[in-house]
Amino acid sequence: MRLNRRWISVLSPLILVLVWEMLVQAGVLNRRFFPQPTKVIETLIDLSSTGTLWNELGISALRITVGFLIGSLIGISLGLLIGISQTASAALRPIITAINPIPKIALIPFVVLALGFTEWARVLSLAISVMPIMLLDTAAAVGRIDSRYFEVAQNYGASRWDTFWTVALPASLPSIMNSVKLGLSYSLTLIIGVELFGARQGIGKLIWDSASLYAVNKLGAGIVAIALTGWLITAAIDALTPSLIPWQPRPVDPRIEESPIQRQIRVWWRATRPWSFTAATIPAVLGTMIAAYQGHFNLLHGVLVMVGSIALQAGTNLINDFYDYRKGTDNEQSLGIGGAIQRKDLTPRQIFLGGISAFAVGSGIGLYLVSVSGPLILILGILSVLAGFFYTAGPAALAYTGLGEITVFIFMGPVIVVGAYYVQAGAVGWDVFWASLPIAFLVAAILHANNLRDMETDRRIGKRTLAIILGRKYANIEYYVLVGGTYAALIVTVILGISPLYTLITLITLPTAVNLMRRVVLNTEPAALNPVLRKTAQLHQRFGMLLVGGWVIALCLKLLSGN
Amino acid sequence: MIPKIAIEAVTIRYAGRAGAGEVVAVEGVDLRVQEGEFVCLVGPSGCGKTTLLRAVAGLQPVSKGTIQVTRSDPSRPATAMVFQGAAVFPWMTVLENVDYGLRTRGMPYAERTAEAQRWIRQVKLERFAEAYPHQLSGGMQQRVGLARAFAYNPEILLMDEPFGALDAQTRLILQDTLLELWQTSGCTILFVTHSIDEALTLGDRVVIMSARPGRIMGEERVSLARPREAVQLRSDPHYGEAFGRIWSQLREEVR
Ligand SMILES: Nc1ncnc2c1ncn2[C@@H]1O[C@H](COP(=O)(O)OP(=O)(O)OP(=O)(O)O)[C@@H](O)[C@H]1O
Ligand SMILES: [Mg+2]
Repeated sequence: MRLNRRWISVLSPLILVLVWEMLVQAGVLNRRFFPQPTKVIETLIDLSSTGTLWNELGISALRITVGFLIGSLIGISLGLLIGISQTASAALRPIITAINPIPKIALIPFVVLALGFTEWARVLSLAISVMPIMLLDTAAAVGRIDSRYFEVAQNYGASRWDTFWTVALPASLPSIMNSVKLGLSYSLTLIIGVELFGARQGIGKLIWDSASLYAVNKLGAGIVAIALTGWLITAAIDALTPSLIPWQPRPVDPRIEESPIQRQIRVWWRATRPWSFTAATIPAVLGTMIAAYQGHFNLLHGVLVMVGSIALQAGTNLINDFYDYRKGTDNEQSLGIGGAIQRKDLTPRQIFLGGISAFAVGSGIGLYLVSVSGPLILILGILSVLAGFFYTAGPAALAYTGLGEITVFIFMGPVIVVGAYYVQAGAVGWDVFWASLPIAFLVAAILHANNLRDMETDRRIGKRTLAIILGRKYANIEYYVLVGGTYAALIVTVILGISPLYTLITLITLPTAVNLMRRVVLNTEPAALNPVLRKTAQLHQRFGMLLVGGWVIALCLKLLSGN
Repeated sequence: MIPKIAIEAVTIRYAGRAGAGEVVAVEGVDLRVQEGEFVCLVGPSGCGKTTLLRAVAGLQPVSKGTIQVTRSDPSRPATAMVFQGAAVFPWMTVLENVDYGLRTRGMPYAERTAEAQRWIRQVKLERFAEAYPHQLSGGMQQRVGLARAFAYNPEILLMDEPFGALDAQTRLILQDTLLELWQTSGCTILFVTHSIDEALTLGDRVVIMSARPGRIMGEERVSLARPREAVQLRSDPHYGEAFGRIWSQLREEVR
């Protein structure tokens, strides 16, 4: 029964498309007005292989990013303010409530009149449209917070400032995330309207142009592309939410109904350690943003580097599981890492083959990139595969010889950033290398935190990590150097004018970093160091996102002032 | 001697919403608590015990009368309330919750972490220091709330049925912890409970409130010697007599 229903929900849209296709082919639906599904797919492939689609989507994505960022930042901040301050509420609420019901599209002409057909006009139109919703949603979210929590804060003598950071903001964050999701989808709708006004590029522009030329299939392709983008954004936010809101109970997955295929997917997915993928995605996105900042944006190539890096990382993780199992280093206690073999989910042989396949996928993508860019990728790619494989394989496994940190530093930092840059720009300079160093330090710090935690067990089984070679005291210093190096490298690159000033927003993570360094000295027990490891990984994620954010801000401002 | 807490002729009203009339929660309450005293407050449900405690904590304005709290140690915070039903922050780990009061007081990181961890051990939650409240049971959350208040080290602890959600064994252990804390830190405790047994085990004095609007109906000075052992107490003749006197007053009100 259950399976049948699942098939029905897959088949029904397919049948609709099929019937549609037949009706168009039979001429019942006029080809001049109705897109033909097969032609739409053809057009979509065509547009994406020539790169047009990526360019148009990229420009629109940029407008949405800036517009949404401005609108939602103002909206969320004012919403929080209204939520906690009666005075602010009395002053602002009537205005917002009056503005909100106005159809936002109707405001665009005013903005255009004031600012002309400029990029700023388009971006601000988006911002103005998003702002009131985000504001009202946020204020409502703060209003829904159980008043007991404010009482607890008051009871413990929290200042207004404390109360804001420790109660109002975290308690309303889940609702805010939800509004962000809705707001972004809404921006996708708006962008079509916004790009009607004198835009020379953009997915909305593509749609309008196609419409005016009766190119219905291209029109359909544009709509499908924007729908897919919306779906992707929603999925990405859903995927990020647990790491941003770790205190929310997650729905327990209903294992009972799992089909064998679903089980396989889940088991493999888990075996690749997906939570570690940010270590590969962040440098890829960073490289892409640096390239974009310098005027060499190519969405397709950027995405391919990211996917390729993730594949190599998944391969490394699987091979690591295999060899750790073979060498007997993973016992019951360290089950937390991969553990698919120990749980008897997969056989060692399957894990090994899976790892090799992941490397093959990564290499395949790499080879394609070599063909479109140049030999540097070939060198970086081959080295990456070798590093990934010999990280735990072979007699001189890098991870067991004290070379783990340096390997990770190089390959999860500069190599991916430089690679991502190179496939888009076609050439690369040392500045990109320097700009990649902050995250290189931090990703090495994650590994080192792991080794610090495992010092005792590693020593027993004869693993010689750098932490063990250095001894507890110097290993702690190494942690300082790696975490401190992150911020030092960033500040130096900013001073030298390599990284834009805006990347300094990463400094808001500095208190967390200092806390972590203090914790490392205070604790030696694995149980106490476990959170340090988790929080170092989280720090890498947040620092990385902020760093990318800094580059995005710089990029957006540059583009906006350019037009 | 100036009392630590002086509640004089306090009346607290809740303004009624549309439809419902105003509620007089407590009326004309006089209560003095001496420095270092452990006073238990018993009374029927809805008689204004929570309301009174909140007023002492400064979370609830009084409609008539005055409440005065005398400070003696400026380095300690005046009051901390342990809320009925824990009220731990769901977005903080156990450690961060327990640490909360120390953080708002501006204690340096290393010191407050050590202090918070000490209290987490006291309430037997060391394995859950990094867990979020949704991963804990109700009783465990209650213990987090206790550790949070204990770590804050206030001059006055206002405890609203803190052991209500706990099993009998944990309750006994935590009662001991509380008494130990009370003796070592020299704090003053105002403790709301529904259990006469608990009131007699812990308190120097048991204050009995009437049904709403809550008034003080009477009190029982507990002359049982300390340290008190829960099991031995039950066989003490004074215990039975005190229990009987309190119960006979309460019984009228619960009806
Ligand atoms: N915020 C409020 N607004 C209006 N009325 C309230 C409010 N809080 C409490 N009351 C009323 O005040 C009275 C006393 O409430 P309180 O919570 O102080 O009782 P309590 O003695 O703590 O009861 P319990 O033992 O059940 O916890 C109750 O009748 C209740 O209806
Ligand atoms: Mg109550």
